[in-house]
Order: sequence, then C-alpha cells, then structure tokens
Amino acid sequence: MKRFYIITRDLHLYLGLFISPFVLVFAISVFFLVHAWIPGVSPPGTQRLVNNVSFPADLERWNGREQLDGVRQVLDQLGIHGEVGFIRRIAKEHRLVIPVSVPGHETTAELNLAAGTAAISERNTGLADAMVYLHRMPGPHNVNIRGNTPFMGVWRWLADATAYLFLFVSVSGIYLWTALKAERRAGLSLLAAGVLSFFGIVYAISH
Amino acid sequence: MPLATEKIAPSKTRSQQAADLFQVWNRKLHFYLGLYFLFFIWLFAFTGLLLNHSSWKFAEFWPTRKVSSYQRQIQHPPPGDDVVQARDVMRQLGIAGEIQWGNAPKDPGRLDFQVGRPGQSFAVKADLHQDIAKVERTEINAWGVMRVLHTFTGVRVGDTRNQRDWMLTTIWALSMDALALGLTVMVLSGIYMWYGLKGKRNLGLAALALGMVTCGWFLFGLRLLRS
Repeated sequence: MKRFYIITRDLHLYLGLFISPFVLVFAISVFFLVHAWIPGVSPPGTQRLVNNVSFPADLERWNGREQLDGVRQVLDQLGIHGEVGFIRRIAKEHRLVIPVSVPGHETTAELNLAAGTAAISERNTGLADAMVYLHRMPGPHNVNIRGNTPFMGVWRWLADATAYLFLFVSVSGIYLWTALKAERRAGLSLLAAGVLSFFGIVYAISH
Repeated sequence: MPLATEKIAPSKTRSQQAADLFQVWNRKLHFYLGLYFLFFIWLFAFTGLLLNHSSWKFAEFWPTRKVSSYQRQIQHPPPGDDVVQARDVMRQLGIAGEIQWGNAPKDPGRLDFQVGRPGQSFAVKADLHQDIAKVERTEINAWGVMRVLHTFTGVRVGDTRNQRDWMLTTIWALSMDALALGLTVMVLSGIYMWYGLKGKRNLGLAALALGMVTCGWFLFGLRLLRS
C-alpha cells in the first residue's frame, strides 16, 4: 500500500510538472476567449500580388481532402506554410480565399483561378492569439481537413495527452488528499462546496 | 545553560517563520483549489476531448436532437432597442437564455433572433406587423449539454453585434474565469512545492523542462522558424 502511495505521489508530481505549461496555455487563453478580447493582433499587412500561378485544373470543383491537396500544391509554390483553416469558394469570381496559420501568425491567400494570380497578406497575431489558437485546435470544425500539417497532428496528440494526464492528476490528487487525515474535514467541505456550485450553476443554466 | 542576562536566539527568524507559514498555506491552497474545482476540471478536460473527437459515436447529440415548432400571438413589444424588444418577446413566450443575433440586415417589420442555453435553442421569428411569433425549439441530449457548456460564453472574438445579455451566462463566464485563475495558482503552487523537495529536483526539472520546451515550440518556435 505504501509503495502504491509513493508511486502515485511521484506520478502526480512528475506528470503534473510536465503538463503545467500546457495547463497554463489552456488556462490563460480562457480569459481571452471568455471576454472576446485578444491583445496584440496586428492589422493585415499590405497585399502582395503573385502572377502566373499555376493551379490544378479542377481545383475549384474539388471538395474536402482532394481540394486541400490541390491547395497545398499551390501554397508550396507560393512559399506559404501552416495549417489551412478553411477554403472559402467565391464561385462567381472564380476565387478561393484560404487562411493559413501557425500559432501567432496568419497568412491569407486569395487565389484568382481565372486570372492565375494570388494576393497574399500576412499578419502577426501575437502571443495571446497563439494561445487562443492552440486552445481551439484541432476542435470540432472542418474536421475533414483539420490536421493538414505535421505540427497540428502533433498538437492534436499533445492536447489529448494534456486532457488525459489532467484527469489522472486530479484523481491521483484526491487519493493523495485522502491520506492526509488532518485535512479531511476542510477538504470535504470544499469538495461539497464545489459540487454544490457546479451542479447548481449547471442546473440553473440548462433548465 | 544560558545566563539570565543573555538573549536567547529564537529557533527561527521571523522571515523563516513567514516562509514556513507560506509553505503550509501554499500546500493547503493547492489541494483546496483542486477539490473545490474538481467537477469543473473534469467537465472541461472531458469536453475538451469530446470537442477534439467529434466522430466519437457514443457522444453524438446532433442526430438525436428533438425539434418542435409553434406559433403564438404576441403583444407588440414596447419601443426600444433590439435587446429590449427581444427580451419582451421572450418573456411573453416563456423563453430564457442568451440572445444571438444573425448577420442578416434588420427588417423594421421583423424581429428575428436565436436564444441559446446549454441543452436548448430557440429560433424566434417575430412578425411585428401581425404580432405573431414563430418559434422553433431544438433540444439536445446530455452529451450536447456538456459540449455546449465548454464554449458557452455569449460572446465571440470579432463579433461586435452579440454581447453577453443573460445573467446566467455571466455567472458561467465568471466561473470559467475563476477556474482559469484557480488552475494558474495550482500550477504555480505545485511548482513551488516541487522546488522544496530537494531529492526530486533533477527529475522534476527534466519533466518541467520537457513540458516547457514542447509547449514553447508551439507557442514561439513555429512562428520564428517560418520567418
């Protein structure tokens, strides 16, 4: 039993230390998301126009992954790297608008398929936006194209790992607390207060 | 034995005593916060997984939604801004929740808006010429409620049209703020406690450094590497 306690305590400590920077990113970004305020986002820079861009023949008609692969060829040609957020088609004008991001930086490429041109604008979105971006990713939207860069594939795994490890750290924390006999009464009171607050608010907000 | 005239040095200086007291309360704060926020932590960690894995069949909520609609005669809402009028229509219809406005340009003879709360949403289309409101109510299951709770803030970055206008949304948003603050304090208090454990410094430093380097690569490295 003592061995189990020691192993649990060490895992709580070391896994907790490993995830602590990730928890800080998720926690601090909550303030920006809850108050819809992101400081440090620069306005989009001047657009630069690239002529004679070659597009795959059916790029406009494709959908989902197929279109993404075609767009990726064009982006590589233009030297734009990052996660494609979405592909907006403006059918009447034969244009595709594509935001491409890495945390803290966004590039928007407007491909004019009829004219064979690409208008590119870039902006730094700053540290706060980088945290918000990572908090939201990969997320439930545009699932069929999400994870189109290696870094997003790794981040998807790390975001999941943070959630699983956080659940482990919370459960192991309860176990470690139960071993502290002198803290049981105060701990139980706080646990009860937390349960009441949580279910009270959730009940009120959803009924 | 010290003489009666000699000053006896206190076993600990005042600053040492303060440091000890801080250590005790730092430790207490770490698990008190963890216990108080336990269910909030479980909700947000679990729904974070749900949001990142919307293909998980067991947590589906949209295909099983229940939709019903009805139409009611209403009294003409009093003059005022959109929110005042929408609140009056909602009171008459017995609906409560966060108002969400669409992007469509406003027609003076109409008052169209959505009302949302975790578990239910209402699309209200009020004809102010005839004083009739059509309501479409959508209800989702408990998985959906949990997912919505993760993102229910009433506001969105870049959306100036919608402001938080329901008291319970504000309370939930403040709970999210409190949880975020609580987690930040828990992380810092945990690091402080670890630093006090001399025998565990090296391995702890390796774990913390691995986390910081990995996280830092995403926060700063990707941006710097691209330029």
